[in-house]
Amino acid sequence: MSFLEDIRPVLAQRFGSENLSDQERARCGYDLRLALDQERLLELAGLLKEAVCYLEYITAVDQGQVLDLLYFFGRHDQPPFRLQVRVAMPKGVAVPSLANLIRAADWQEREVYDMFGQRFAGHPDLRRILLPDDADFHPLLRDFKPGPQHGGEVVNLERK
Amino acid sequence: MLRKTLTEDSFYLNLGPQHPSTHGVLHLLLKLDGERILECKPLVGYSHRAHEHMGQNRTYLQFLPNTSRMDYLGGLCYNHAYCLAVEKACGIQAPERARYIRTICAELNRISSHLLWFGAYLMDLGAFTPFLYAFDDREDILAILGEITGSRLTYSYCRFGGVSRDLNQNFRDGVKAFIPKLRKRLKDYRTLVTKNVIFLNRTKGIGVVSPEQARDWALTGPNLRACGVAYDIRRAEPYSVYPEMEFEIPTATGGDCYDRYWVRMAEMEQSLRIVEQALGRLPDGPVKTAGVPQWLEPPAGDYHFSYESPRGHLGIYFVSDGGRVPLRMKWRTPSFNNLSILSEILPGTLVADTIAILGSIDVVIPEIDR
Amino acid sequence: MVTRSALPPELRPPVQMALLDDILGIVRANSLWPMTFGIACCSIEMMAAGASRFDLDRFGAGVFRPSPRQSDVMIVAGTISKKMAPTVVTLYEQMPAPKWVIAMGNCAISGGPFVYDNQYAIVNGTDVILPVDVYVPGCPPRPEALIQGFLELQDKLTRGGKTNLLRRFRRRPRAERP
Repeated sequence: MSFLEDIRPVLAQRFGSENLSDQERARCGYDLRLALDQERLLELAGLLKEAVCYLEYITAVDQGQVLDLLYFFGRHDQPPFRLQVRVAMPKGVAVPSLANLIRAADWQEREVYDMFGQRFAGHPDLRRILLPDDADFHPLLRDFKPGPQHGGEVVNLERK
Repeated sequence: MLRKTLTEDSFYLNLGPQHPSTHGVLHLLLKLDGERILECKPLVGYSHRAHEHMGQNRTYLQFLPNTSRMDYLGGLCYNHAYCLAVEKACGIQAPERARYIRTICAELNRISSHLLWFGAYLMDLGAFTPFLYAFDDREDILAILGEITGSRLTYSYCRFGGVSRDLNQNFRDGVKAFIPKLRKRLKDYRTLVTKNVIFLNRTKGIGVVSPEQARDWALTGPNLRACGVAYDIRRAEPYSVYPEMEFEIPTATGGDCYDRYWVRMAEMEQSLRIVEQALGRLPDGPVKTAGVPQWLEPPAGDYHFSYESPRGHLGIYFVSDGGRVPLRMKWRTPSFNNLSILSEILPGTLVADTIAILGSIDVVIPEIDR
Repeated sequence: MVTRSALPPELRPPVQMALLDDILGIVRANSLWPMTFGIACCSIEMMAAGASRFDLDRFGAGVFRPSPRQSDVMIVAGTISKKMAPTVVTLYEQMPAPKWVIAMGNCAISGGPFVYDNQYAIVNGTDVILPVDVYVPGCPPRPEALIQGFLELQDKLTRGGKTNLLRRFRRRPRAERP
């Protein structure tokens, strides 16, 4: 039995089979997608850590009203397994941090905070990582438009 | 009888952002007690050039030159990964010949990246000779790759549907001459460096990472394989022509600096094997699929693609809404997680060991900062 | 003080008379010590220029000093991000005069391939924050281009190359250079 077959019923039973959907690896590169509420994030992370998965990366997509937080978990063993966990958050609400449980989440969450402004409650050191510490904007949000206050010239590269 | 009149305090030392032994602009904030490190905080972001933001503001083809600038030592690998990712989303299949050519170029790029790492690492440790020899070998590769790509360092050679230009006779001759030359050189490096007692003293037992630590910190690439975990995306999630190639995944068991060095040297041998096989089996045919539109519009949805770059697990994740410009383009670069482990393994070591450990992780900072 | 006319003709070529400035110019031009300051991709080509195949040491510039206090020329190789800009200026200020700056690569000249309407993270070129002496274009420039940049800098220090007596080759006139 592959890990995918093993974990699918466990996830379906613990987190609701309506939240779990099989994906075609050949199309999108991952096997399972799980939509999750933010309260159950730590529980899921603990489960996956015990199942010897590793946190590949955390990212976010600005969908306008909500911010989709995406966590990708993978495995080192064969056959390959990748799970995408999607936590849809309204902007401005903090999410529990995985950094104390899985150390790989430390910098990944800092980057999501830096780029999107998403706060992670319980993170040991939530501060900006890529932008200067005194930056006052979150660049990957859809409504971010750099202006003269961000310095540098605005170059118009349109061809007339 | 001397009495200590000064209290011994710890002090903060900035290693970087400008320092000869950092590989790019890395800033390590070290809390030192004499020569021993108490705390280490890597500070990154000094090379942040807004690649992901550009990804949201550029069409898929316009973003292609950015890929090489992210990891400039593995520029062709990033080109390859990006083209594979977008092609998979759009359902484009590159012709057989193009897939072989891409593999040859990616493996040559991997060798040149490891050679540069080798030279720079030993220069950090104080040995200047390997640097000069490694760069000489690397120049051969750059000349070979420059024949068909036109560039030495930052390539935009792969296209959606293939590559931009076919191989020529100079390329083939160059590779055929280079393979035995590098094999002989690798033997020289083994004699000069691998058996060198100073090198062994500086790297054996230094910076040990256990497999559990590696998994916890999401360490990938040669760093992970040096801990004993045989995880290589080329075998785990094969792409391109790797399923047809015979090569091994070198793995070591110690997880220290020496093992990371050893894994990379062994990987160079394996890459030479792959190049040899691919060049021998190169089929005829076109190098680019006809009919690929200039503006690609992948179907709406999100796509992930994994690739084995010289530094580890490269992940490309993009979200498309069916338009020409992606909604979101995320690059999971291996050095991002590889560097973060320093805050755990550096405390307790000496400053000189810090340089050895930092060099052995093989980070490229613009890849972290994107 | 001995003047040139006091020299016998057969001694005039090997023995040269020069002003102190010219002497200092020759000395400085042929021993430019660069600071190892690679920010991004161009730093690899800078390393290649200093390595065995292209050998910057032939021109006296092979001694890369890590410390700004011991270097003459700062080669800004790579994109200057806004976070890095104060560091670059600090390093420049730490260099003792006379000092020069070579802006290597398109990013250091003008921001390079990273300039676009919504860019928020980079400084559009080194000359926004530092005085630049030589611009070496390319993305990245070939090591030969960097060497050409060094030769230009040497020419700048030695009145267009006229008084650079230690140089054993002649550069083509500017109009004939490709």
